Amino acid sequence: MQKWSVLGLLVLTICFGISCSQSKTASSSSFKVALLSPGPVSDAGWNASAYEGLQRIKAELGAEVSQVETKTPAEFEQGFRDYASQGYRLVFGHGFEFQDAAATVSKDFPNTVFITTSGTTVRPNVAPIVFEIEQATYLLGMMAARMSKTGKAGAVGGVQIPSVKSSFDAFEAGAKAVNPNCRVIVSYIGNWEDVGAAKEAALALIDQRVDFIFHNADAAGLGVFQAVQERKGVYAFGSNKDQNGIAPDVILASAALSVPGAFVTVAKQVKEGTFKAQPMHLGMKEGAVSLVINPKLESKIPPDVRTSIEETKQKILAGTLQVPKGFY
Amino acid sequence: MDFWLLFISLIRAGLKMAVPLLMTALGELFAERAGVINIGLEGMMLAGAFGGMAGSYFTGSPWIGLLVGVGAGLLFAALFSVMSVGLGADQVVTGAAINLMALGLTGVLYRRIFGVTGAALSVQTFAPVGLPGFQDIPVLGEIVSGHTALLYIGFALVPVATWVLFSTSLGLTIRSVGEYPRAADTAGLAVSRVRHACVLASGVLAGAAGSYLSLAHSNTFVEGMSAGRGFIALAIVIFGRWRPAGAMWAALLFGLANAVQFQFQAIGSAIPYQFFLMLPYVLTLLVLVLFAGRARPPAALARAYER
Repeated sequence: MQKWSVLGLLVLTICFGISCSQSKTASSSSFKVALLSPGPVSDAGWNASAYEGLQRIKAELGAEVSQVETKTPAEFEQGFRDYASQGYRLVFGHGFEFQDAAATVSKDFPNTVFITTSGTTVRPNVAPIVFEIEQATYLLGMMAARMSKTGKAGAVGGVQIPSVKSSFDAFEAGAKAVNPNCRVIVSYIGNWEDVGAAKEAALALIDQRVDFIFHNADAAGLGVFQAVQERKGVYAFGSNKDQNGIAPDVILASAALSVPGAFVTVAKQVKEGTFKAQPMHLGMKEGAVSLVINPKLESKIPPDVRTSIEETKQKILAGTLQVPKGFY
Repeated sequence: MDFWLLFISLIRAGLKMAVPLLMTALGELFAERAGVINIGLEGMMLAGAFGGMAGSYFTGSPWIGLLVGVGAGLLFAALFSVMSVGLGADQVVTGAAINLMALGLTGVLYRRIFGVTGAALSVQTFAPVGLPGFQDIPVLGEIVSGHTALLYIGFALVPVATWVLFSTSLGLTIRSVGEYPRAADTAGLAVSRVRHACVLASGVLAGAAGSYLSLAHSNTFVEGMSAGRGFIALAIVIFGRWRPAGAMWAALLFGLANAVQFQFQAIGSAIPYQFFLMLPYVLTLLVLVLFAGRARPPAALARAYER
């Protein structure tokens, strides 16, 4: 009896070994791309756009793709290491917070390219894609300050990482540019998933007479839209993706990024061997950042506000207006 | 802003944030009183949140959603119960596994059914109901009236739980199983059956609390949206000294501290936001240290019973 089970185990091990080695040889020739997302890719925002980019890389470049959700610095490093050791040629760490892990792991895997979305860290095989979302949030800030009846605008953030703070700072700068007395109040919930907390944070802002709320809290940001739906006379702004359709009655506009396009561009460079490790700054001029106004609510925006926003947008495109931006 | 309006808004926010903690804690209280520590609350809440959302999405009725959510919590509780009570596996390890499994499973199902774009803000949710008799009282009426039915159910469960636990023979049975299962067994009580039932009860309530999150408090499912509430509920049971009323006060304190915290942030100050986020936890800890006195957990807590 025992002899048979040992034999069975042996056969199993051999089969497993063969299947493993086969999958390795088959995959080493193919182009493999992976994504580490800091939150669920069903957030209809920041992470969803990255996942869309990954799917486009699969469709357009015929790559084999994989994605995993990572929360802590230890998981970031483990995620990078796992993919790199499996022969992935390109791994995206979707956020500012992935830089240190990318830099650490990059030394051990010179043949894998690590891209962080936002950041400053550059190594021979590490580079950031930096979306200048500030250009769009600046315009949102202008819109809020021009249209606010109370002179107060708010923002709800997930965690105060430099990229999020910078998007809020530009929002405030835009508001102050058109109305120096406008106050911008920022509230953080401490994570990216707690919809209920984001909703209460937004309601508290509304209690303090804030009537325009921007968010940069990924999945939890949905709670901000709900809060705005519950109270009258308050508008919200979407972030990172065109979110206008999520709550078309209350989302006035979104600061949208074209993350998928940028991901495909980088993946193409890596695949063709033309990739150079340098920060890629993508803004409105490159068509990677845009202000998308909700067509359903367009009529609510006074014409003079629209013209002044359009003028400012042209200045940003021409490079005559530098939108304030954090160092990251 | 008018002081009273702000005050009303603050207390209402506190109540809304306290309820999911309260419901989950009440369930856990029964499990712990019977000697089982259910660490898997977080996962069961998440299952309830997903089940509730999915149920309401497909039927258009939040009540059926609640039923599905409760069922989802029950399912995970049954799995936990089979492992920990039936097979005597380590309760903490099994509970942790439940949490991981629920997070993964709800995520996969959500993406499978609703796609990566999700189904945000599109399900039928619980409508606020007015409390007759309270509605017209100034301030008090504005605070207690106009919440969702699920919130009232949550608070109504407190006296029910107290009565069951301390005034019925069933309650006596539960407590004796948690204190000294060997004696309970000798006296002819079915230790395993009682423990199974209590764990299932904790799953039902955690599932209902999860449904509250996705169908009453917010109006969507988000992967990981329970955001640690299952673990806070564990603390609330201890904080409330294994008594339903105690758990209620603890949940209220935590919910109110959270509401105050967001209100502070909304005033806008130069104080780093982390201090405000810390507030509910620090406050809870302080009260525990200052007023908790001596509390003793059920003697057989977290110990598997073998005949």
